[in-house]
Amino acid sequence: MSIDLQELPDELFEPLEQDPASLEMTGFSNYSYWGSTLRTFAKSKLSIILISVIGILVAFSFIYPIFGTDPNTVYLDTTKWNQKASLAHPFGTDGLGRDIFSRTWHGTRNSLMLAMAIALVEIGVGTIVGAFWGYMRNLDPIMLELYNIITNIPSTVYLVLMSYIMRPSFVSLVIVLASRGWISEAKFMRNRVLSIRESEYNIASQCLGAPIWRIVLKNIIPYIISLVIMETALTVPSSIGSEVFLGFVGLGLPIDTISLGNLVNQGRSNFLLYPQQLLLPAGVLCVITVSFYIAGNRFADASDPKNHV
Amino acid sequence: MIKYILRRAAQSLATICLVIFAVFMLLRMMPKSGYFTREDYINMDEGMRESYLRSLGVLDPPLVQFKDFIGKLFHGDLGRSITVYPKTPVLDILKEKIPYSAAFGLAAEILSMTVGMAMGLVMSREKGRWPDRLGTAYAVGVRAVPSLVYLFLIQIWVSKQLKLPLLYYGNRPNSWILPLVSMALSSIAWYAIWLRRFMVDEENKEYIQFARVKGFSKKYITKHHIWRNALVPIAIGLPSDFLLIVSGSLVIENLYSIPGTGGLLVEAIKRMDNNLVQALVMLYATLSVLGVFLGDLLVVLVDPRIKLSGKEA
Amino acid sequence: MAETIFQAKDIVIKFKLRDRVLTAIRGASFDLKKGETLALVGESGSGKSVFTKSFIGMLDKNGWIESGELLYGGMDLATFKQEKEWLKIRGKRIVMVFQDPMTSLNPLKTIGEQIREAIAWHHGKESFKTDKQAFRSEAMKILNQVGISETRYFQYPHEFSGGMRQRVVIAAAIACKPEILVCDEPTTALDVTIQAQILQLIQKLQKELGMTVIYITHDLGVVAAVADRVAVMYAGQIVEYGDLEEIFKSPRHPYTKALLQSLPQLGVKGQPLKSIQGTPPNLYHDITGDAFAPRNPDAMRIDAMHEPPMFKVSETHYAKTWTLHEKAAGRLSKSCETQPSAKTLSAPTNEVLLSVKNLSVCYKLGRKRMFAVSDVSFDIMKGETFSLVGESGSGKTTIGRAIMKIVPTHSGEILFQGKSVNRRMSGAELRQFRQQAQMIFQDPIASLNERAKVDYIVSEGLSSLHLCNSEAERQSKVKKAMEEVGLHYEFVSRFPHEFSGGQRQRIGIARSLVMDPGFVIADEPISSLDVSIRAQIINLLNDLKRERGLTYLFIAHDLSVVKFISDRVAVIYQGKIVELANSDDLFKNPLHPYTKSLLSAVPNPDPDVARLKSFEKYDPSMHAYATDKPSWSKVAEGHFVWANERELEGYKRLV
Repeated sequence: MSIDLQELPDELFEPLEQDPASLEMTGFSNYSYWGSTLRTFAKSKLSIILISVIGILVAFSFIYPIFGTDPNTVYLDTTKWNQKASLAHPFGTDGLGRDIFSRTWHGTRNSLMLAMAIALVEIGVGTIVGAFWGYMRNLDPIMLELYNIITNIPSTVYLVLMSYIMRPSFVSLVIVLASRGWISEAKFMRNRVLSIRESEYNIASQCLGAPIWRIVLKNIIPYIISLVIMETALTVPSSIGSEVFLGFVGLGLPIDTISLGNLVNQGRSNFLLYPQQLLLPAGVLCVITVSFYIAGNRFADASDPKNHV
Repeated sequence: MIKYILRRAAQSLATICLVIFAVFMLLRMMPKSGYFTREDYINMDEGMRESYLRSLGVLDPPLVQFKDFIGKLFHGDLGRSITVYPKTPVLDILKEKIPYSAAFGLAAEILSMTVGMAMGLVMSREKGRWPDRLGTAYAVGVRAVPSLVYLFLIQIWVSKQLKLPLLYYGNRPNSWILPLVSMALSSIAWYAIWLRRFMVDEENKEYIQFARVKGFSKKYITKHHIWRNALVPIAIGLPSDFLLIVSGSLVIENLYSIPGTGGLLVEAIKRMDNNLVQALVMLYATLSVLGVFLGDLLVVLVDPRIKLSGKEA
Repeated sequence: MAETIFQAKDIVIKFKLRDRVLTAIRGASFDLKKGETLALVGESGSGKSVFTKSFIGMLDKNGWIESGELLYGGMDLATFKQEKEWLKIRGKRIVMVFQDPMTSLNPLKTIGEQIREAIAWHHGKESFKTDKQAFRSEAMKILNQVGISETRYFQYPHEFSGGMRQRVVIAAAIACKPEILVCDEPTTALDVTIQAQILQLIQKLQKELGMTVIYITHDLGVVAAVADRVAVMYAGQIVEYGDLEEIFKSPRHPYTKALLQSLPQLGVKGQPLKSIQGTPPNLYHDITGDAFAPRNPDAMRIDAMHEPPMFKVSETHYAKTWTLHEKAAGRLSKSCETQPSAKTLSAPTNEVLLSVKNLSVCYKLGRKRMFAVSDVSFDIMKGETFSLVGESGSGKTTIGRAIMKIVPTHSGEILFQGKSVNRRMSGAELRQFRQQAQMIFQDPIASLNERAKVDYIVSEGLSSLHLCNSEAERQSKVKKAMEEVGLHYEFVSRFPHEFSGGQRQRIGIARSLVMDPGFVIADEPISSLDVSIRAQIINLLNDLKRERGLTYLFIAHDLSVVKFISDRVAVIYQGKIVELANSDDLFKNPLHPYTKSLLSAVPNPDPDVARLKSFEKYDPSMHAYATDKPSWSKVAEGHFVWANERELEGYKRLV
């Protein structure tokens, strides 16, 4: 920029008319937590693809059972058993002639419903308990001891034992898995809440006479909501994994319930002869768990303000 | 320091007692048929069963039973198995089975520590480049895919490709490879991911900035500052990991028919062997609490901040 | 004239942040003379840290030097690309000390090792292991030099207090024997009395080692105490530089002038402070003309169009402002007109509003009981501003929170309007108390809930205590409160992050005002704010007091502010009030040695005073309290001291 200092016209040195009110109007930062979180999340193509995959899979698994082939039609005709993939049976048929494609989507739907139910109970209870646990100092010792007791019973032991006592069913599986999971979720939430427990805005709310439930609802839970979303996403793969595991041990859902866990365990016994009976349902299962897992982690990264670059 | 250890020890003891109590009460909900061997059950009539149960003491109020159980525990008596290995003391069963599980577990633990930490180191150094991505993809795969799925595939498919035995044979070392690798797979990912994360966390701290300002090279800082400090949080988990190898790997021992402790619990539960279930659950829970306690002690040794305050800083 | 050893020419530094490019440094130039102390003054966001970090290649990964030269030792550091090149500069020749000593040291290494390692490193790899003993004794020597006993060589950082840690950090820095030491706000995180000692230490070391020091700070008082020359930064540029005297006695840039005038030390009690309106510019946008123009009531048309060049004032003094252009000479300055004060502050009454009697507060640390506050008593009269002054950990904030029923008390009594507060109150009583007593917080960022809209934040108390009968009433109350603190009512639908620090602090004040309280506890309300914003908030607090007849309990560590606003002052040291007096009496005639020490430590923005000042260290063991027990005693009317019989005799003679 070159200007001749001597040539500047006089009127430039007249006072500048300014509106003092305009000084207040400028917002200092364009930063918004949720805006940045979503932007960071959506910036990665992988996240978008995964979310679409999840959407399509979920939609398909809920729509297909309404119109598709019945998964339980059994044939006495042995030629219909253990068929290879064909147009009529895209994934082939199993040892009783049942259509595996149909079974896979029924199983996906059931497993997803199970996982969602578990996530709902586990995260719901975990979040509320965690928020109070983190905020109320005097709850800490009791809750920590409870946490120690529950988590010190090895998880496989607990799952096996409880599903044994409860007798396998959809509801009992939800209870079994969620009754152990909630405390870990609560602890996780609590650790995050601890960092804002003494924060000045909580003290301000106290000074303004806000009751504890209100502080938890308005100050604490909004702060951990991103964790809640992430944990919900991550609970899906882990619940499905637990279901497969319990099925393997023989304590999962009843064998006549179609679920991904049961399909995988049934497919395993015939693997050497008919590998597609294991591989195809397992493939769908992996796509689901991996998508949820990565999407959950991507979201966690995106919701961390440090990554809002 | 000693005060801190004593306090933590007392705390752990209390937790163990509570856990044992909780498990004991939980098991009172198991069906009573779990106290009979199959022949005994068939051979006895209702009255005999009743009096047999009474002689075992299982019809007493739960608290009285608990007292008896603790009393026996102090004499090293974990009770006898009923249905799985009829009339064999639980201790003897464990003595026979633990060596298998421990040997595999120990080998797998060492394998995953060395490979996993090496991976974590490389990943943190190459942060954001392909080795890091590859490692992350591996970790995601191992953690997101239900372990049973890939464990099946390893057993059935990989064994065929590499011409390795499908099952475990004590006298054929090449049959040890697949179970060992299978066991290590997920903990390799665990070590790699956490070491990487802790190292990256450490790297972003201000004292590392200051170390750079003082003119140290990145290599020196990694070796003398980041690495050591990142190991502290990893050390916490080590004792637990090593102690719990005793419990064996349920799935892998089952798949490869390894005569370890892994399948024991499920077997006991399926055959309703109440005594065995009780003894095993308590053993594992105790080991896990002990592991946490030892982990805390280990941290006291490596982290000077805890000595003074008696609390985590 | 000493030789120039370092020169920055037209440095432009950019950052990529959230997909946008931010120009943090917009063409900054300066030179550094051998052996001098140059103070770089600026507010947060002015770019002073970024600028100096670029001298040693320590910019964050998303930042880069766009253009300009950094000339040092015959090299242009701005062209350095690789870590290897920087290793020749960092530590050996230029080293930097950061603000927070708590995080600057490796927590798992003994402090001695951290110093020894620096010495060894700069001796080269070969000698690293062989000369361990020699390096160790050298490290001990350096420890002694910074005033730490060599017996503490094997201790870990957590065993040291903040001030001592900063000494260790400085020791590790000078262990490299650098030519230039950059201190980035090295005392901002420390208490004033500790700050005074660290400043002395840096000056001593500079002399002993012949270093050149760049001292980055926002505190003009510190500048006056340490600097030979001063460079003022605003919005990524150096807008004025010159010798210390020149900058303080005859500042030429409107920003420098306004900054100096807004200091409470220079204010007249009862009159509003001269304040700078608005906030520093957003560096995401391009700035045309003089960046300070929008906040400058005397701005000229040219300020909005062209960026001013550096005008020469004297051989050593330069300023970047159009007011130095010959055509601007003789124009009247609006800011020189005295702002008439509406009303003088009303005198406090004799009616006791709040009475604290023998208050003790303790908290448990493991099994030990620690007294944060022990046996404290004072009264606050209706309509006065009562200040509680102390350093961090003195218990001043705890007292405020005990009054607000946030922390439980151990013993003693708190009476508000004659009613005991520290007991179980009935619902109605509690509601009335919560409405009457309000609190303003220190940190404008942490004290507002990020996830709630301003509307919710401001009306939180109204809805918690059900003070409104209708939505319309709530809105009108919020509107009134917002306007009172000078914020547009439309702002209520925004989130806190859209506001600047000063605006956020005003939202915090509105949140209290909306309750229509009679008593407000202000817990360090300005210490987290930028210097140019502080005067706005102080004026606002005083205006509100005038208009609403508020009573304040003002909690602070900064004596200069306290002197300006308070009627009476209590000095608190380790949970005990050691002296209480009328503000004027206390500053004119401090009696307790701690008060004296505190006063001597406060930096004064007048170079003449600052040079003469010597810091008096307070040592609690000077009192012979073992035999002669101290008590809370009256020395003169309204002047109380914590002292024993013998000390009291002495004090009485002084009054």
